[in-house]
Amino acid sequence: MSAVLADAVRRAAAGGATGSLRRARPLLGTLVEVGLVPGATLPEAGFEAAFTAAFAAITAVQAALSRFDAHSDIQRFAHLPAGASLALQPAGARALRAAQALRQASGGLFDISLGTGPQAWHCSGARLHKRASGVQLDLGGIAKGQAVDAAVRALRRAGCTAGWVNAGGDLRVFGAIDLPLRLRDEASGGVRPIGTLADGAFATSRFAPDSRCQVTGAGAGVIGHVSVAAPLCLWADALTKIVALTGDAAHPLLARLGAHAWIH
Amino acid sequence: MRTAISLGAIGAISAISAISTLGALITLASTATSAFAVDYLSVDQAARVVFPQADRFEPRDLLLDAAQLQKLAASGLAPRSARWPVLLAWQGSTLLGVLVADAVIGKFELIGYAVGIAADGSVRQVEILSYRESHGHEIRLPAWRRQFVGKTASAPLRVGDDIANISGATLSCSHVTDGVRRIVAVLDLARRSGWLPA
Repeated sequence: MSAVLADAVRRAAAGGATGSLRRARPLLGTLVEVGLVPGATLPEAGFEAAFTAAFAAITAVQAALSRFDAHSDIQRFAHLPAGASLALQPAGARALRAAQALRQASGGLFDISLGTGPQAWHCSGARLHKRASGVQLDLGGIAKGQAVDAAVRALRRAGCTAGWVNAGGDLRVFGAIDLPLRLRDEASGGVRPIGTLADGAFATSRFAPDSRCQVTGAGAGVIGHVSVAAPLCLWADALTKIVALTGDAAHPLLARLGAHAWIH
Repeated sequence: MRTAISLGAIGAISAISAISTLGALITLASTATSAFAVDYLSVDQAARVVFPQADRFEPRDLLLDAAQLQKLAASGLAPRSARWPVLLAWQGSTLLGVLVADAVIGKFELIGYAVGIAADGSVRQVEILSYRESHGHEIRLPAWRRQFVGKTASAPLRVGDDIANISGATLSCSHVTDGVRRIVAVLDLARRSGWLPA
């Protein structure tokens, strides 16, 4: 362990004399944590600006994709007439394009319309087109992952070389750090250590009749936890749903995206 | 197929590392519980983060009378306390706002948080102060954990469990949101009653 990192870890454990290396805010309907490791390109004096940039990136994704924000692209889309289109906010455009790619790559299994019109929306460049009335979109299965990736990009732009972002269990680690990872047991509470995460993303969803996370569609059968490790948090988040729908922890899309899945 | 190609172009990189010190983790597995806790900021640190322009913070106790408590209850916000310790953020003789710290209990967790309310009554920022899993439970056999191991190269560097992170089905923070609404209402009552300096 380098002296800088060891020192950072000591201060993280102690809470830090000049403020913590980790911050958390309630965003995206959950707790979002940002953790920073000091490096040559980001002295501790620059942490505050980095935290601000990361949370601002997440807030921008939330504003673009939230179902609960009347000005979000998702709400504006719901009120569009059939045949019309809208200009996407940059912060949310990547998630919608990814959802479109996943819809195609999964043969329609990944469906952000939740059955209201799987093929009734279309992304073209920075515009979102509505092909039929009645279709509504819900980015709940992908937005947190996209927000985490956006925050990591913001941290890197701010000069951070290592750190992590965790949006309520969808997390990504970057730089020369191996983050010990624990898994929360949603059924009975408590956490279990499972290993370390390095330079990649990890997401877990629990699927059960009483859980907040539900999948809809033919073949929805997994009852329990699905975890996915992938290079990007957006893929990890989305792929938990595809694995839950298919019950296939070796779904071909996983290998294509450099991901691994576990049903447990 | 442009998007499909870009999907495929995402290269595989290491994600889960092997647990290189399985022995140590098995030792951990023999313990009865595994709690999890993080401290982010003290109340004073949060005050400086939320109101960086402030040159002093004045502690005060906001006391709600019976009529104010009834008003809160009538608006659907259960008044948890009649006494609210707050920090007033001052820049010279100008009141920038108020910081209120509180804690809420969720299904499995205790969350401490601080709300910065600007002088006009709007929420300026919410910072989480601490997070505690309220109880642990027996860790199951290491076999459960072993399924996660061995997909990629082993980790050359470990940083210790003190900065561990949790994955799991999404934790709702609706009780934090409810707490923030309650604090906004409490401060609104205080402002209307003339308790807050103009």
